[in-house]
Amino acid sequence: MLFNSLSFVLFLFIVLALYYSKLFNWTSKKRMLLLSSYIFYGMWNPPLIILLWMSTMVDWKAGKRLAVEDNQKKRKFWLILSMCVNLGFLGFFKYGDFLLENFTALMNSIGVDFQAQPMDIILPMGISFYTFQTMSYTIDMYNRKIERAKTFLDFALYVTFFPQLVAGPIVRAKDLITQFYEPKKATVNQFVWGLFLLTMGLFLKVVMADTLLSGTADDVFSSDKILNVWDAWTGTLAFSGQIFFDFSGYSTCAIGIALMLGIILPDNFRYPYASIGFSEFWKRWHISLSSWLRDYLYIPLGGNRHGITRMYVALMLTMLLGGLWHGAAWTFVIWGALHGIYLVVERLLKNKIHIKINAWNGVLLALLTYTLVNFTWVFFRAREFSTAKNMIGSMLFMNGDGEKILGTFDIIKVFTVITILFLCHWVMRNTSMKSVSLKTSPWILGIVWAIMFFLIVIAQGSGEQFIYFQF
Amino acid sequence: MALSGYYPNLDDNKDLWAVQRTKIDKATKNDVVFIGASRVLFDIQLNEWEKETGKKPIQLASVGSTPLPIFNDIVENTEFAGTVVVGVTPPLFFSTTFLMAVPWKREQFRVDHYFKRTYAQRLNHALSIPLQQNLVLMSTSEEEWTSNIDLKTLLKNIKIGNRQPKGMPPFYQFDDITLERNTEMTQRTVNDTAFANTIKKVWRFYGSTSPPPEKDATMSFFLKDAKAFTERGGNLILLRCPSSGGARMGENMGFPRVDFWNDLVKQANVKAYHFEDYEQFKNLECPELSHLSVKDARYFTTELAKIMIADGAITNQKIN
Repeated sequence: MLFNSLSFVLFLFIVLALYYSKLFNWTSKKRMLLLSSYIFYGMWNPPLIILLWMSTMVDWKAGKRLAVEDNQKKRKFWLILSMCVNLGFLGFFKYGDFLLENFTALMNSIGVDFQAQPMDIILPMGISFYTFQTMSYTIDMYNRKIERAKTFLDFALYVTFFPQLVAGPIVRAKDLITQFYEPKKATVNQFVWGLFLLTMGLFLKVVMADTLLSGTADDVFSSDKILNVWDAWTGTLAFSGQIFFDFSGYSTCAIGIALMLGIILPDNFRYPYASIGFSEFWKRWHISLSSWLRDYLYIPLGGNRHGITRMYVALMLTMLLGGLWHGAAWTFVIWGALHGIYLVVERLLKNKIHIKINAWNGVLLALLTYTLVNFTWVFFRAREFSTAKNMIGSMLFMNGDGEKILGTFDIIKVFTVITILFLCHWVMRNTSMKSVSLKTSPWILGIVWAIMFFLIVIAQGSGEQFIYFQF
Repeated sequence: MALSGYYPNLDDNKDLWAVQRTKIDKATKNDVVFIGASRVLFDIQLNEWEKETGKKPIQLASVGSTPLPIFNDIVENTEFAGTVVVGVTPPLFFSTTFLMAVPWKREQFRVDHYFKRTYAQRLNHALSIPLQQNLVLMSTSEEEWTSNIDLKTLLKNIKIGNRQPKGMPPFYQFDDITLERNTEMTQRTVNDTAFANTIKKVWRFYGSTSPPPEKDATMSFFLKDAKAFTERGGNLILLRCPSSGGARMGENMGFPRVDFWNDLVKQANVKAYHFEDYEQFKNLECPELSHLSVKDARYFTTELAKIMIADGAITNQKIN
């Protein structure tokens, strides 16, 4: 079920009505939320709920054993079992065809005549998110960082909680499970703010991403022509805006919906396009994934504890795997590699050049960071290397005149939206929407809310899927 | 051009189509299914057909598409052995078997959606119906008409300068559709010549940009399915609906009857009806060259059903 759909409006209305009715005690409300979460997921493809159940059962059992087991070998067994099941699901469903394709290419390249039919495996929605979330629980249990979930119901709800089930934020057990222990009820202010966030999230998705930017990005990246520099940049900027609005829109909806239930989810985006440098970018973009990769991949790989070379290797590996997490294609690996290189170069430069950041050079450095990030988005969005190569060539003025496929209005529209986006991020980089709202007149907030609602209604959209559902 | 007189209407989208496709799985030997492009959609009026034959047909024709993918779906994925009437609009029927070509992709998209649609999508569609029927602002459409009033279309219609190559002329919606996919040409198309001319410009654009026909590939694909369908007892009928003026001239030049229609009928060896062969249809004029007004469509449907019954191509369920 998509947040930007009529069925979700009905679903949320029923869930909220039951949640705030006096029919149920807290345990029954949690059961209702769990059942609702399965319905939310099953409305897409019911049989794939079995994967969710299996992941839940394995990690519940592993957590239970790790809570009481002192024998290190047995502890390791339960950890490995959890990782094998979760990564096995991920490997088979997400990377099965990719691995087969590459194996075939490898065999052919060494002269072995091997052909394989693509398996056409269906990618279960949100599998990358919920497997990472459940694994974090078991790894934290293994490292004795958290207590085990008090009841199976609490744990199952942690794995399946519908607002963040299919596209995050990837929430740690200590931040979410404990919230299920005591009855939760949103205050009036929380409920209204949650509803505002839900509207804001839908506005970002339906109006900003789908209506204003997606068409231009699709036109440019689906073109098989060598493009004019303006078209290439417009398409890339449009996609950089689209993916931000799409994904942060989902996260904002998720946070808002959870808040309407009295549950607090962590921020997933903090105005990333105003980042000065790439370390900061990854502290502001998809925060729950980057912190997951830092805690469960980069640090176990050695982090910065074993010298500079090992640190750079760990950094590159983390970013490469982070790239692959996004999709089973080499273009995503290149995307991750570029970010890894950016991070390594940034660290090297930071040791040699010391700049005191002020408002003037800060905005220029943020613009430089954003420009470099745009080159990575080309690989993220392009389905073929040839497309990415042509796009980069056009963006760097290497392709002569190139074809003009966009209208003047499209170019003006995208540059206007992206300029406003960048300036908003810059202005907001040291604050939050909540603190700004507290300083703003309720009348102004009401008018903004009404405008967003009106634009959502006239944009409507055709229920476009969120981009991150495929990851 | 100025647009006025907006009113709530349904979108002929993949979900509306899929609901009709569902009916084939339960259809009997007595059922009639229409497939083809927009001519069958506009020219066959379901109530008139029911009045003449006693059975409401299933309408699966889709605008701007070849019927080959849906016929292949019926043959391969169902056990339906009733009557399938295939509308033959030559520029679309003989266009392509290439999966990525627009006339194929549009139809295949609907067939795929029927099999892949989620429960959430079904519910979304059901919930959207009362809104579409009552709110003018529910105006997005799969066809992306220029006359839509959703934000995306309003922005898309803003043009500054001539930077990009000249594309398709504005394409305004000129039909209304019901839940059962009965389609009627709007009265405005009949009465307002300037409006009808905007549609004619679109046909001219398609006529001048379409690739050459792929007669051998399309015929061979269709005939294979036709053989399988008739061998299992299915009743296959070919139908050529009227066109007029420049559209008909273009079709006669690009798809000469002898080489295309006659050859198809001969090789398929099934009942076939060409509007030119019947005195009743010779004077029918299409307001925008390609489809009949609702008044003429009702007449065409009634007469066609009578002809087919008299010919023994279909049976009158009212009598049986």
